[in-house]
Amino acid sequence: MIDALAAEWLKLRTLRSTCVVLGVIGVVVALMALLAWYAVRLWEGLPPGQRDRLEVSSLPELANWLASLSLAVLGVLACSGEYATGMIRTTFTVLPSRGRVLAAKAGVVAVVAFCTGLAAVLATWAAGRLIIGDRVIRGQSAEALSRQMPLFLALSLSVAMFALLGLCLAVITRSAVAAIAALVAVWYVLPIIVNNVPAPWNERIGSVLPGALAGQLAGTGNPQSLGGELLSPLAALAVMVAWVAVPYALAAVLLARRDA
Amino acid sequence: MIEVRELTKRFGRTVAVDGLTFHVKPGRVTGFLGPNGAGKSTTMRVVLGLDRPSSGEALVGGRRYDRMRHPMREVGALLDAGAVQGGRTPLAHLSWMARANRIGRDRVVSMIEQVGLAGVARKRVAGFSLGMRQRLGIAAALLGDPAVLLLDEPVNGLDPDGVRWIRELLRGLAAEGRTVLLSSHLMSEMELTADHLVIIGRGRLIADTPMRELTAVRDVLVRSSRADDLAAALSAAGGTVAAEDGGGLSVRGLDPKEIGELAARHAIPLHEVTPRGASLEETYMRLTGGGAGR
Repeated sequence: MIDALAAEWLKLRTLRSTCVVLGVIGVVVALMALLAWYAVRLWEGLPPGQRDRLEVSSLPELANWLASLSLAVLGVLACSGEYATGMIRTTFTVLPSRGRVLAAKAGVVAVVAFCTGLAAVLATWAAGRLIIGDRVIRGQSAEALSRQMPLFLALSLSVAMFALLGLCLAVITRSAVAAIAALVAVWYVLPIIVNNVPAPWNERIGSVLPGALAGQLAGTGNPQSLGGELLSPLAALAVMVAWVAVPYALAAVLLARRDA
Repeated sequence: MIEVRELTKRFGRTVAVDGLTFHVKPGRVTGFLGPNGAGKSTTMRVVLGLDRPSSGEALVGGRRYDRMRHPMREVGALLDAGAVQGGRTPLAHLSWMARANRIGRDRVVSMIEQVGLAGVARKRVAGFSLGMRQRLGIAAALLGDPAVLLLDEPVNGLDPDGVRWIRELLRGLAAEGRTVLLSSHLMSEMELTADHLVIIGRGRLIADTPMRELTAVRDVLVRSSRADDLAAALSAAGGTVAAEDGGGLSVRGLDPKEIGELAARHAIPLHEVTPRGASLEETYMRLTGGGAGR
């Protein structure tokens, strides 16, 4: 298993898409800093009495939302490119145990996604603190990092969840286009649809959508998202695991049964 | 040693391989021939554990490929040289394979040198010609110093130097006692490289035979200024003689030595004595019914 993990790590590291996705994350953080600077300009332009009417979405959560999709795409590309070129056959002649290949890919993708997600959130938070300073802008938490760390870790965990979901969808569909379309549906389209479902089902379904889980896991709720907040932290964690485990099991079964 | 036993593979209602049995023995190059769609690639994929057989089995060294822990050290394979992700360098492409099979870094570097890619070891594969990709595929197949090699069309896209290089490489590897299974559409190349042939058509075995039997001497072409006298003498000595279009005689049942001795005894001048074998291509066409697979 160590050999398979090391081999998949070498593969992911030397994949061109990996550099592109990490570059996109850098752009996202820069964009967040720009947003912080713009919010400060707006805030300072308002008379002191009206400043608390300005509300800006939490920048670390916004960065996380974009990082989720980026790394989910990386999860897809970690596998779909091998199907597109036929290299998947080389992979299975080099490592004949398909279960081991899937596990190694999942392990490498999850760790890269978690670390990148955490780096994006922390960098956005640090940039926001530097730019906003001690101004009080609604939506931007001024709490100490140690108080916010549980949320940041939960957000990073959800990035890993999205990335694994992407990987499994790529194995199941063997197509980058199909897998990315399915991902965007879960990440963006589904929350909008669910939001328009009559109450109380909008909140009930909204609570188990992947994008709503990190807030519930950290116990901070989802003040600005479309999701609900009905789950306890433990239940949120269980749902998060299920969003990975079910597609993973399906991918593993298909991989073992299909001819490569 | 590769053993294919009663192998059948169906894709839906299509039978790609139909009860195929043959052995590939070490110490020689075995050519794997058949028209397009005959089931060669499917058979190779089953041997490598990529396709599941519908029934029967394929073993390498007595074991199933997908049960091997470090398969590259036992079996080297080249299926499709184009199946490389273009963003990687040869060094990166071979490194992950080596890591997966616990093969040393030195071996990666020496294989890149051996196949002549040292100058482009850090260049992206995307810019490579098919010939360079074939060389990279050969390097991957030989990476684990395997006792068994399976190569599907390895000379496609290679220049004459490359074709010659592969021929000498494979013959050298077989001479070291390795098992080499080679598929190719190039009959003349196969005739020069393989010692033994396995020919299949429509998923079934057509021939499993040494090359020299397929290309054995068929007849002797003889020309003489006294062709009629020679024909009579040869017939009297037990040969079967037929006149050729070009004025020569096709003689069966007598070898060149016997023909020469006979002509000398009768003082008949000989202008030409040429033993003729069937080319592999002719024999192949005859066996596979003109080359059409289905």
